[in-house]
Amino acid sequence: MKQEAVDAVITGLKQAGVEVVCYLPDSLLKELYPALDADPDIRTVQVTNEGEGAAICGGVFLSGRRAALIMENSGLRASVEHLARLGLGAGIPVIMIMSHRGDLGENNWWAIPHGITMEPILDALRTPYRIVKQTQEITQAIEDSYTWSYSAYHHSAVVLSGGIVR
Amino acid sequence: MMKRYECMERLGAQLAEELVILSLGGAVDEWYNAAPHMREGSLFQQQLGCVTGEALGLAIGLPHRRIVSLDTDGGLLFNLGILATLGNESPENLFVVVWDNESYQSIGGPKTHTASGRVNLAEIARGCGIEKAFVVDDLEDFERHCRAGLAAREPYVVVAKTDGILQPGISRKHSDGREDKYTFVRHVEKTEGISIMGPSEHN
Repeated sequence: MKQEAVDAVITGLKQAGVEVVCYLPDSLLKELYPALDADPDIRTVQVTNEGEGAAICGGVFLSGRRAALIMENSGLRASVEHLARLGLGAGIPVIMIMSHRGDLGENNWWAIPHGITMEPILDALRTPYRIVKQTQEITQAIEDSYTWSYSAYHHSAVVLSGGIVR
Repeated sequence: MMKRYECMERLGAQLAEELVILSLGGAVDEWYNAAPHMREGSLFQQQLGCVTGEALGLAIGLPHRRIVSLDTDGGLLFNLGILATLGNESPENLFVVVWDNESYQSIGGPKTHTASGRVNLAEIARGCGIEKAFVVDDLEDFERHCRAGLAAREPYVVVAKTDGILQPGISRKHSDGREDKYTFVRHVEKTEGISIMGPSEHN
């Protein structure tokens, strides 16, 4: 991830009013995590799985503050149960920013299921998403995600793909 | 063996301004009846594996306020990782009670892993760096630990060994999770003087 993309994510989060970020580190966004940890305006919480991160983000929402769940798209499979209960059950939104593993061009066999399952799972959870491949589109996508989720009270996702993460 | 309902009455008597997140199963209707003054300040969500995570998020968002997580053995076992996160984050305002009846009561009572006598949730918590973690099977001890847990400046976990008998004769909470969320959010808004949900740009 280039510095411009890291900066764009953090700018987008701040413009959306995000104060808390939960993450399970992945390799495609590896430059983002230390930048978030070092940012004095953002409280980071490293979690043991993305479902736990979704629950914590849901709790932050209930406090009136804004949170983001940052993860690899494989984390969707780990968090389906939690996301379904929070979003479809109660209308507690979680905004996700995830790396796009398994897209065309993927050269790791183990990452293929991540690409194959991502969109069907997001669709099953009735969760809108935007796949972003240009750095200059990141900030707006994050802002739009928060605007939608705070109108719908449901999850949304920004998928960082293409040259942003390769 | 303690009666969970009596434990709830003892805990509820110590609460006023706190916010409570609770788990699923029989504990929902019992808490609804045992602590009626806490209904608006309690989030009735039935979120397996989410309870203590949501409570941590709330504790992070409202650091000046005491948050109480009422989890269960089945719910906590679903995501033991939250104990590692609690140990590392070490929130100063989060008190966790685990109602451990050694069974999945809401589906009729099959045993959880704590029924074996080998699995000790408080020891797991201590292994995650939560020094104040205790198994309690006496009502007076439970009340004492609640008092300490509500005053602690570090995460405090009480695993309450209770029976699995649903308190007879209590009324059912008949609202769903969406309504309960609004009730809770409006309570947080009112007591914190903030806006969480709405208004839209054009009403």
